[in-house]
Amino acid sequence: MEKGDNIWIYPIIFLLASILVISTNIAAFAHKAIVFAWVEGDTVFTESKFSDGKSAIGAQVLVFHRNGKQLLEGRTNNKGEFSFKIPKLTDLRIVLNAGMGHRAEWTIPESEIREAGGFLQEREASQTSKAIPVSLTKKEIKEIVEDSLDTKLRPIVRMMTESQSKGPSVSEIVGGIGYIFGLMGVAIYFKNRKEKKHLEDRND
Amino acid sequence: MHISEGVLSAPVLVTGAALAAVGVSVGLKKIDYEKIPHVAVLSSAFFVASLIHVPVGPSSVHLILNGINGVLLGWSCFPAILVALALQAILFQFGGITVLGVNTVTMALPGVICYYLFARLVNQQKGGLSLVAAFACGFLAVLCSGILVAISLLFTEESFMSVAKLIILAHVPVMIIEGIITLFCVAFLRRVKPELLGGIYGKG
Repeated sequence: MEKGDNIWIYPIIFLLASILVISTNIAAFAHKAIVFAWVEGDTVFTESKFSDGKSAIGAQVLVFHRNGKQLLEGRTNNKGEFSFKIPKLTDLRIVLNAGMGHRAEWTIPESEIREAGGFLQEREASQTSKAIPVSLTKKEIKEIVEDSLDTKLRPIVRMMTESQSKGPSVSEIVGGIGYIFGLMGVAIYFKNRKEKKHLEDRND
Repeated sequence: MHISEGVLSAPVLVTGAALAAVGVSVGLKKIDYEKIPHVAVLSSAFFVASLIHVPVGPSSVHLILNGINGVLLGWSCFPAILVALALQAILFQFGGITVLGVNTVTMALPGVICYYLFARLVNQQKGGLSLVAAFACGFLAVLCSGILVAISLLFTEESFMSVAKLIILAHVPVMIIEGIITLFCVAFLRRVKPELLGGIYGKG
């Protein structure tokens, strides 16, 4: 191969590449979309993104009833967020349709909505039932605050653990390669047997 | 470019699976004893490539490596890509089992097309022409994949032109990088193991 002849090709390709890269300005796009949803009061917040951490901008979000009926739909803002008032006290199935074949789902169980006290009936009931005692010790206040913080932070903690566990681990990658080479071994084994048989038949 | 589970309609899934089955059976027939390790190595390269993000521009996409797979394996890139995609679906949750057929066709068919278009050129005596063909091969394979993904999404609610435009624009950096990678692979193989390029072509 004549090295001198093609050496000029590389810088030109790189230049071309960088120009194209800078000039393309398009929506985020990766191989997997993820949608998270959590309840705060009477509102459901959703956050949509791709597996590499980029937000899904302007993506369609559909909300379904437990029985499969569509309750509402909307589009994410430029941070990938979309929020809506709880339309019904039921399990909410939230479907993200990020386009180009990317789709993700998240279900909010009815219990989570109840716990958040979001649904109106629930809230009214709790308001009438309890009268708050006037005198509280510092410790009691601390406990109440911590308690409500815990409930508020739970979905966020879950979201974080969920997002951290999404990426493929080294063991999965190495495992996958191992599988492929294992299959190669099996293929070679069978080919080998066939060939051996073929030779034996010929010898007979 | 993996299409997620639950996006495509049943006829598209069945067509994809049938086409993939044909491709895989043709590919398996063309694998002979010495070729098994080549298929395995390129299959694992494809498997890992999807983890390499191309963090250029606002869009983040990943490598595919179907061009080099196609030009080195010919029809045998079908089984190689099928195995890699199955493992990606199981281990990384990219794509999915029901869409395996469609995803295999969208990735492997461009490889086969590139094989018929470029294998002879890549295997040329002239270094310059061979490298240009290698670049074109990597570039075109990704482009064809984008078009095929858009075609398979044609039957869902999304319009073909807008999806095709988005996918192809998002993949311009990948096309260029794949072109460069294919070019370097071919340059390396020409120097180190030219029979790998020629030998396969002779038998393919």
